[in-house]
Amino acid sequence: MDVKQYLKDNKILVVTLIIYLIVLIVDQNMFMETLDTAWIYIKEMLQVLPAVLIFTGLLEVWVPREKIMKTFGSDSGLLGKLASFGLGTVSAGPIYAGFPIAQSLLKKGASVANVTILLSTWAVAKIPILLVELQFLGWAFAVARWSLTLPAILAIGYLTGKLVDKEEILSEIGEEETIVKEIWEILPGHNCGSCGYDNCKECAKAIADGEAEPDACDPCGEESGEKIAELMEETDE
Amino acid sequence: MNAFVLILVPAAIILLIWSTLKDKEKTKESLNVAKGMGKNVGGEIFALLLLVALFFTLIPESTIEYLLGSNKFFLSLLAGAGLGTVLILPKFVAIPMAADLIKSGAYTVVAAGFLTTLTMVGFATAPVEVEHFGKKYTLIRNGLSFVFAIIIALGMMVILSYLP
Repeated sequence: MDVKQYLKDNKILVVTLIIYLIVLIVDQNMFMETLDTAWIYIKEMLQVLPAVLIFTGLLEVWVPREKIMKTFGSDSGLLGKLASFGLGTVSAGPIYAGFPIAQSLLKKGASVANVTILLSTWAVAKIPILLVELQFLGWAFAVARWSLTLPAILAIGYLTGKLVDKEEILSEIGEEETIVKEIWEILPGHNCGSCGYDNCKECAKAIADGEAEPDACDPCGEESGEKIAELMEETDE
Repeated sequence: MNAFVLILVPAAIILLIWSTLKDKEKTKESLNVAKGMGKNVGGEIFALLLLVALFFTLIPESTIEYLLGSNKFFLSLLAGAGLGTVLILPKFVAIPMAADLIKSGAYTVVAAGFLTTLTMVGFATAPVEVEHFGKKYTLIRNGLSFVFAIIIALGMMVILSYLP
């Protein structure tokens, strides 16, 4: 492992550890207190994040894009809202634990609005929260909060969906939709340009968009062209 | 403490076993996906949590109580919302804390605003959110959540006045 590269890639972590070192030198008591608090957070992360990542990995590989589009896509209507809300409500962990799974759904065809509903629900309207809330703050508080928060979540989801284009998100995070990636993986990766595009990635994107034929790649051979056509078919609505 | 965590981990394991039995290759791929995401995101979340812990320790509890417990309504509401934005706390810590604040005299809706922003809006989680969804999305979602958190808090004030 290249240490220098690792340090560069993990700037935040390095800076944080340095700050902690300074605190340790300056004030041992505060350092211990901070460790105690940090441990609470980290314990929670360790309990939740690995499991959620496994769920996300399984989802990415097992659940076909079609199903996700039907359940969470922009045309899923009420089902989409309920599904997103339902998923968020039985979740565990802080909002950041929901990011991987939300992003995965988005890449696989979920709408921005529904993903936002999922994240918001995950954050503030989980069933575990309700239970603790009832216990410590009482039913009146819970009723008041939930009766306002649920419509608010819908509104936030709706507005976010209107204001942010999925394309913008995907291009900003440097991702293509999964279908493009899958096509790209079938292509040989020579970037030879014989298909008329600059490189295999552009070609994959063009095929996914329908601008190019599945067999646009000559050097691929027939089999790849067929594979791509199959891929296009099973993910077409 | 959190029942769903107790369900989450076994559920993941069960699904993993089912997946392995059904298709080893696909399972390996899922684990690779998970590992890749984990590597990407784990280090950053870890660092963020450390920073928030430090921040939380630096702000003595008394300051939080002072800010949130003040009898100037709008000041404490904004302070609560602001504090909730920059902090993240596990729910089972935050909710009892909110209950304590109310008991010691804070406005109920201030506690509500604090809780809502604490969970829905995240300065601390923003870097990770940007990595997942980009700057524009992060800004808009958090901005809207903040605004609605205040609306919810004010709305609660009205509703609670009608409830016993």
